[in-house]
Amino acid sequence: MIRTEELTLNVGPQHPSTHGVLRLVVTLDGERITHVEPVVGYLHRGTEKLAEDLNFTQIIPYTDRMDYLAAMLNNYNLVHAVETLMGLEIPERAEYLRVITMELNRVASHLVWFGTYLLDIGALSPFLFAFNERETILNLFNELCGARLTYSYMRVGGVKWDAPEGWLEKVAQFVQRMRQKVDEFHTLVTGNEIFLSRMRGVGKYDAETALAFGLSGVNLRCTGVNYDIRKFKPYSIYDRFDFEVPLSEEGDCYARYMLRLEEIRQSLRIVEQAVAQIPDGPIMAKVPKMLRPPKGEVFTSIEGARGELGCHIVSDGKDRPYRIKFRRPSFVNLQILPKLAVGLSMSDFVAVLGAIDIVLGEVDG
Amino acid sequence: MSAIPGFMKGLGYTFKQMFEQKSTYDYPDKPLEMPERFRGIQYLDVDKCIVCLQCERICPTQCIDIQGKPNPAGKGKVLESFDINFEICILCDLCTEVCPTEAILMTNNYELSVYSRDELFKDMKWLSENDTKIRRGDA
Amino acid sequence: MIDWLHQPMTFGTFVWMALFAVLLLVIVLGFVTYVIYFERKVIGWIQLRHGPTQVGPFGLLQTPADVLKLLLKEDIIPKLADKPLFILAPVLAFVPSFTVVAVIPFTDAIGFTDTNVALLIYIALSGITILGILLGGWASNNKYSLLGGMRSAAQMISYEIPLLLSVLGVIVMAGTMNLRGIVEYQQQMGVWFVVPQIIGFLIFLIAANAEMNRSPFDLPEAESELVAGYHTEYSGFRFAIFMLTEYVYMFAMSSLIVVLFLGGWLPPLQWVPGLQFLQAVPGIIWFLLKFVAVVFYWLWLRATMPRFKTELLMKFAWKVLLPVSLLNLVATALIKAMV
Repeated sequence: MIRTEELTLNVGPQHPSTHGVLRLVVTLDGERITHVEPVVGYLHRGTEKLAEDLNFTQIIPYTDRMDYLAAMLNNYNLVHAVETLMGLEIPERAEYLRVITMELNRVASHLVWFGTYLLDIGALSPFLFAFNERETILNLFNELCGARLTYSYMRVGGVKWDAPEGWLEKVAQFVQRMRQKVDEFHTLVTGNEIFLSRMRGVGKYDAETALAFGLSGVNLRCTGVNYDIRKFKPYSIYDRFDFEVPLSEEGDCYARYMLRLEEIRQSLRIVEQAVAQIPDGPIMAKVPKMLRPPKGEVFTSIEGARGELGCHIVSDGKDRPYRIKFRRPSFVNLQILPKLAVGLSMSDFVAVLGAIDIVLGEVDG
Repeated sequence: MSAIPGFMKGLGYTFKQMFEQKSTYDYPDKPLEMPERFRGIQYLDVDKCIVCLQCERICPTQCIDIQGKPNPAGKGKVLESFDINFEICILCDLCTEVCPTEAILMTNNYELSVYSRDELFKDMKWLSENDTKIRRGDA
Repeated sequence: MIDWLHQPMTFGTFVWMALFAVLLLVIVLGFVTYVIYFERKVIGWIQLRHGPTQVGPFGLLQTPADVLKLLLKEDIIPKLADKPLFILAPVLAFVPSFTVVAVIPFTDAIGFTDTNVALLIYIALSGITILGILLGGWASNNKYSLLGGMRSAAQMISYEIPLLLSVLGVIVMAGTMNLRGIVEYQQQMGVWFVVPQIIGFLIFLIAANAEMNRSPFDLPEAESELVAGYHTEYSGFRFAIFMLTEYVYMFAMSSLIVVLFLGGWLPPLQWVPGLQFLQAVPGIIWFLLKFVAVVFYWLWLRATMPRFKTELLMKFAWKVLLPVSLLNLVATALIKAMV
């Protein structure tokens, strides 16, 4: 018998692909992985602790930076929890603007995922095509609220800015263009046999495993469990829109890829309906200058771009929270990586890590 | 091989993309204009400030430092010094939101690169001279 | 120039041949410089951006600037690396890539050799490069380099076999391994070998892509796959030599494809009687046009395709390309025997 040794490889904090600062200590036997240990915390900034010293409006810019690719969804997460605790009623136009921006942000986040995932797999061009489309979304947001990535757009009780002249028409035009582009992405990538061979059957897991690990979002729906908070426990005005939740039974990377592209299409449907239905009116409810939620606690969750994004606030009547905790989906979804990675080769490992769709700002918080 | 149609369609798509319009900007040779609502570096109108210290209190990162002195010509206070530490300012725009007199406003300027960190402590004089492309309107 | 090869060598012809060899080296180096520029431009256009534009007019001086940067860098040799092998590896990888250019006939008058075993020399010399790459991976004393070097050696060895087998169909039809003879046979046939030997052509394209370690077969240099490959530890000019090897092979492979399958210096559409005026254009122009088309194809493919994974790469070579090329050979031989 030949004596072989296992190789310990440190996939260091600096990644060639744009996941962020994640360190994975990988033990290899030849080219097969036997053990993976993720080491997180390189991007931990202490948001939850800092929030104990800030009032709720001041925490909003901090939430932007947690999942920086889907900042609108994070903003909404926080203000929704506070509004639920305070029992506020939000004006219609504000709700519609919130839904439009949240769904556009979901599309932008999925475009980043698409581009970077294909870059990991080796295709250089779809990254640029996806980012070209995302530029349009970021420019729309720039016109709306003055920033391209860290919006701080939502406030407790409504939104900060109303849509400027002509903005809604531009959104409608973008929806048409993006639909065409999703078809073009399918032409470019999905039929390609090399691509399919790298994704089909790789990183398969079933529904019990997914539920046991607490996965959510696309990672759960790819196994056939129909759990989308927008349909299960509708928040905001999602019950007024007609959209489907894409599901798959396969549970492998290919299923997750197809589901995310389908989700882009469904989000575009929602945006189209919202732009058609949006009424006029105020964009901010009557809220006191000093927000003092009553004593108590609340946990609300929304369907974030990566999974179930939750916010747990414990308030003791002051204008700052006593304790605030964000349930961050990337952190929970990353747990399944050590289990999936055993027995894979390095190329498959990269494909699996990409398909989980993590953002390090969210993993570390 | 069924792969041939699959990847040939992809090749056809990339070939067509060669003739599309390029989507890069020619920055810095051509300046990049930001829309009206863009949150850039602040502008301070010294005469309008009544030293209410709202902006200092609301700032999430505590980057504003204000010193006031009693107004020599009448009542109230005037500014003695007003510093913003741009190492930690996140351009979140909360300070302009709470200012009652619109003394502090955002501009659309964003070019803040300097050669030494000391230059990032902008004082009252610099902030009041930063008066191009001020964002007026519903701030 | 070919005529000089058939006469006894005089001092004059020797000096001229040496000068032409130096000229060819300069042309090859110029090609490498500008194919890198061309690659960045083409990939940029496919990706909706401009490519290099700032350095020099239209960005033409970008690659010379990059090469100058590489030359001026500090030459770092890791302490525990195997020093003689570390220094030898790039040389061993580069020298064969330039020597194989000697067997390619560019037109019926320009060429450096006229042997009957040209193809065999080509394949044999290009095998030495694999040795250089493996040595580079081993001598670096780095886990990543070793993995990359091993992968590269496995890949290049596996794909050499379909490379050679796919060309055997052409040799059976032409009856000679002399590259000029193959082009002359295509002239006789009236149609280029790409038409009767289409399967061989496709297999040769795929296998040549794997030999050059280019996308979609660039597993040894997979940048985003966490293993930076056999040239991790090489910096500065040694790295430049590895890159040079890859691009000189692109030159050699593309010229070989043009000569073997695309008719070398022959004008297209020879069988159409009305287009005789095309014969007036010098052969070297046709060679260049076809050469540019093949090089463009490599760049186009790089921008479009994702990367193969290791098992699929090996399976593809041994289970798909090898049987198909053997079938191609058998079919060609049978048809030749019957006709």
